Amino acid sequence: MTGRPDEPPAADRSGEPLLRVRGLKKHYPITEGVLRREVGRVRAVDGISFDVYPGETFGIVGESGCGKSTAATTLLRLEEPTDGEVLFDGADVSAASKAELKRFRRRAQMIFQDPTSSFDPRMSVGESVAEPLRIHGMRDRDRRRRIAQDLLERVGLSADDVDRYPHEFSGGQKQRIGLARALVLNPDLIVADEPVSALDVSIQAEILALMRRLQEEFDLAVVFISHNLSVVREVCDRVAVMYLGEIVEVGPTERLFADPQHPYTRALLSSIPTPDPRERGRGIELTGDVPSPSDPPSGCRFHTRCPEIVQPDGYEFEQVHWRRVMDLRAKLDRGEVGRESALDLAAAQSTATAGATDGARATGTPPDEARAAIRRAFDLPEALTDERAEAVLSEALGLVVDGDSDRAAALLAKEFSTPCERRRPRAAAVDDGWSATCHLLDGSRRSEGVEPLPGRED
Amino acid sequence: MGMGLYVAQRVAWALVATFVMLSLTFGLLAVTPDAQQAQFAFQQAQEGASADEARETYQRVTGKDGPLFDRYKEYMIGMVTGDWGWSHTRSQPAIEAVADAYPYSLMYGIPATVLSVVAGIGIGLYSATHQYTKADYAGTFLAFFGVSIPNFWFGIMLILLFAVHLGWFPSYYDTSHGVWTLANAKQLVLPVIVLSTAAIASQMRYARAESLEYVHADFVKTARAKGASEWRVIRHIFRAASVPISTILVADILGLLFVASYLTEVVFQIPGLGLLSYRAITQNDTALVLATTLIPVFVAIVGNLVQDIAYTVLDPRIDYGDR
Amino acid sequence: MGDEPLLSVRDLRTYFRTDAGTIRAVDGVSFDVRRGETVCVVGESGSGKTVASESITRLIPMPPGEIVGGEVVFDGVDLLSLSDRELREYRGGRIGHVFQNPQGALHPMHTVGRQIVEAIRLHRDAGKREARERAIDLLDRVGIPDAAARFDDYPHEFSGGMKQRVVIAVALACDPDLLIADEPTTALDVTIQAQILRLLCDLQEEFGMSVLLITHDLGVVAEIADRVVVMYAGKVMERGTVYEVLENPSHPYTLALLDCLPGRGGAMRPLGGALPDPRDPPSGCRFHPRCPHAVDECGAGDQPAMGTAGSPGHEVSCVYYHDGYDESAIRERRAADSNEGVGRADGGDGR
Repeated sequence: MTGRPDEPPAADRSGEPLLRVRGLKKHYPITEGVLRREVGRVRAVDGISFDVYPGETFGIVGESGCGKSTAATTLLRLEEPTDGEVLFDGADVSAASKAELKRFRRRAQMIFQDPTSSFDPRMSVGESVAEPLRIHGMRDRDRRRRIAQDLLERVGLSADDVDRYPHEFSGGQKQRIGLARALVLNPDLIVADEPVSALDVSIQAEILALMRRLQEEFDLAVVFISHNLSVVREVCDRVAVMYLGEIVEVGPTERLFADPQHPYTRALLSSIPTPDPRERGRGIELTGDVPSPSDPPSGCRFHTRCPEIVQPDGYEFEQVHWRRVMDLRAKLDRGEVGRESALDLAAAQSTATAGATDGARATGTPPDEARAAIRRAFDLPEALTDERAEAVLSEALGLVVDGDSDRAAALLAKEFSTPCERRRPRAAAVDDGWSATCHLLDGSRRSEGVEPLPGRED
Repeated sequence: MGMGLYVAQRVAWALVATFVMLSLTFGLLAVTPDAQQAQFAFQQAQEGASADEARETYQRVTGKDGPLFDRYKEYMIGMVTGDWGWSHTRSQPAIEAVADAYPYSLMYGIPATVLSVVAGIGIGLYSATHQYTKADYAGTFLAFFGVSIPNFWFGIMLILLFAVHLGWFPSYYDTSHGVWTLANAKQLVLPVIVLSTAAIASQMRYARAESLEYVHADFVKTARAKGASEWRVIRHIFRAASVPISTILVADILGLLFVASYLTEVVFQIPGLGLLSYRAITQNDTALVLATTLIPVFVAIVGNLVQDIAYTVLDPRIDYGDR
Repeated sequence: MGDEPLLSVRDLRTYFRTDAGTIRAVDGVSFDVRRGETVCVVGESGSGKTVASESITRLIPMPPGEIVGGEVVFDGVDLLSLSDRELREYRGGRIGHVFQNPQGALHPMHTVGRQIVEAIRLHRDAGKREARERAIDLLDRVGIPDAAARFDDYPHEFSGGMKQRVVIAVALACDPDLLIADEPTTALDVTIQAQILRLLCDLQEEFGMSVLLITHDLGVVAEIADRVVVMYAGKVMERGTVYEVLENPSHPYTLALLDCLPGRGGAMRPLGGALPDPRDPPSGCRFHPRCPHAVDECGAGDQPAMGTAGSPGHEVSCVYYHDGYDESAIRERRAADSNEGVGRADGGDGR
């Protein structure tokens, strides 16, 4: 390991990785006006790095908007990357010439989510499957047909299906045909973008089993992209969790799922409903707004929603309340909490609870009520457990109610500043081949047995 | 961007388009050989004078011997002030000839447009919401009939049947009747029917297709699930479909009408713009040809402008900045 | 919870007449929903679960759909016997609907406030201002921040999760007794899904209503259901409380469905075969062509009558739960089963 800043920690894998991705970025400019002035960028993928070894299945998991599908297309240069490099078997794909790119395409193929739209409805299934052969120079039609038939058999269909058309098949069968088409050139790598998301549960299981079998038969490496964590757990050897264009955690699947290190991974995993009715209601609920990839939060991108956000220096109060104080801060910064809204809230709440038996309803003066209303709106207690923090909060709320939201925001920003918003976290090695990018782990708060990596600080 | 600025921008574009179009027309006219000039030169040559000299004289007299740019300026000023040249076949300024003929075109054009829009959209919407019923099939049949049938043949057939055989309507247009008389209305019935059939058909097909997009939309199910009556549901569908329908409304209808009106006017002998234009072309009356061609062009530009604005009013999803 | 169930569906049959044949989408389905409880109908595509839920308030397109038989008794009234006008009072008034795709469920050209107000004023005699206030209150209760300001926003200005909350607000506008939710979280991210499910639970308590939730996701079922109905190819395979069905799954299809779930440390076992043709379903038990335990009886006659598995409310449509059969055979054979018992010789989907 050269210890370069954005290299993932050393994985104990024999041999060289088949695919090395370093600092891959894909930005989409936002333009305005006739002259197409760039006013911003959607940072769909904002610097991801990972390795894929021959024969392994590498999963990329995340919710919508995290950039995983963009990562897939950019990886294969179906879209041009904005920055970074992709090394396939040592050769740099991002700098490849047209001829080199074509050779690359023989060795790396893709399958897509929607089986219906990924086929030309006017081409027979056999023609679709054989098309890559034609593109790469095989002129013998009979030979192409025979290869197509062979592949259809291998994916579980029949050789007679070669002349039928896509609309004659079900979704699961079409996905099998998609696999056949991807395998016809005998590639070394397959990038699968949500290959089973559009399928029923029983069909999904079949396709996953098929993919596993084919992977062994063809000795393939697979990059498996999905939003479905259970599916990823089933087929992937290693998995990377993406959030807002970055990888927050990467490691061996089973161990990562059993003991996730990054707060986002923890929240994500706890959200998966399991078919065990005794496990109801145990999920971690994420608060705060989902940020936009064109304007990502400062520091750690997850800090606006992280339930485990690091507390500010010198204060120590209940984590749950701290999270809510941060939510309040966010709204204050955006100017969404002010004197007007506070008084409105107070009025609305008093009419709503008129007649309620809640004895704690004090009929204080309007400013008091307004302050209490803000607390209630953000689920904050009447007093924080840390006295000094409570003093700061009270003062800030007082300023808001007096009409000076800006000063309130500034006060809270100064007193309640957290490293999570100030600095970008560094990747910390949890174990061999397993790293998470979080301030809780990288030395801002040293935890047991976790060593931060040498790296740059933003 | 804001709606006011957007409208202003659109109007500005419309003016630019007009300017460009007028200039192009001028350019074309400038390089087109003048038939009158040729005729004059021919006449003079027959009488023994020099053809070249005759041409020069002609050009001097009609003011066509000046430098190109001056002529261009004169032409543009003329366009704006209403001096559109002289119609030698009718011995009046072209613009007067147009002004005389225009009301007749409007007399059947407006009822035909209104009828085709209202009936077309109505039938289309009904068809879409009652898909696969007999009414739907009947509507589709009517549409195909209207689109396939040649207007001039249909007009002649109607005249034969209703005017000649049955005597219900006059067989040709008599300008001696006042505009608002019953007699005038009677003689307009057949032309309006002929013109509407094709227009209703295309409007109906389009309205049906666009409405169908929304008939099975989820928000329609939501509306029904709220307990809305069928009539209210149809209003919802129409509101959603009105956006794409409006895009063809102005441009398509007007275009259709101005093409068809040639045939209708010739068949029924209505002295509107179509007949005027037809005669001007066959008689080589350049100024009048120009004038009658420009009218539909202006209408189209204005129509597009109205349509652009209507589109943004109807669909709140459109961001002005993108256009 | 009262004695009489709030909703009682009995032998419901809904067919679709098409040029290619008659599709028997729902072919004799029965289940109950009691007051205050959540019932989940689970099934894959083609199971008829959506059509069944939409048949309750006759929201299916008719033609080509047709409710050919059965009864749907809601609070003592058979909804299928009502005229359209009478039914409309129930729709939105006493029964609220939430559909799968929040994207298309709201009218793109009306503000969300207006859409909620419409729902209110269709059933209540409320003035505009009163309706507006109630709408804002509803938006607030479903968790839309800044509800008053967002009243005038259009659907496209909301994210997916927020849109679904608005759809829920519309459904709850008139304080319905029953909320029918068709795959309300399928189109949403997993973290948002958790939020919406929690919201539904909270609202159910707050409004004191029953929920009929349609889903294909057994995890969702485990999360919020009180009772479960498992459907396959237009028929009910198994019914019971969520504990009964998920901890003691008894129908071979339920067992197979649970076995298909990925991510359980290699215990995933695919189910062979394909969904049956809805125009020409198999005779006898609809599942028998794919069932690893099928015997001759399974293909004869009609879908087997319900037998009991363990507790009295736990019903299974399988011959093994009739007299003369040994139901434990299903569990034992399942444990010893290898792949050869699953799926057919034709391999793949076998179509």
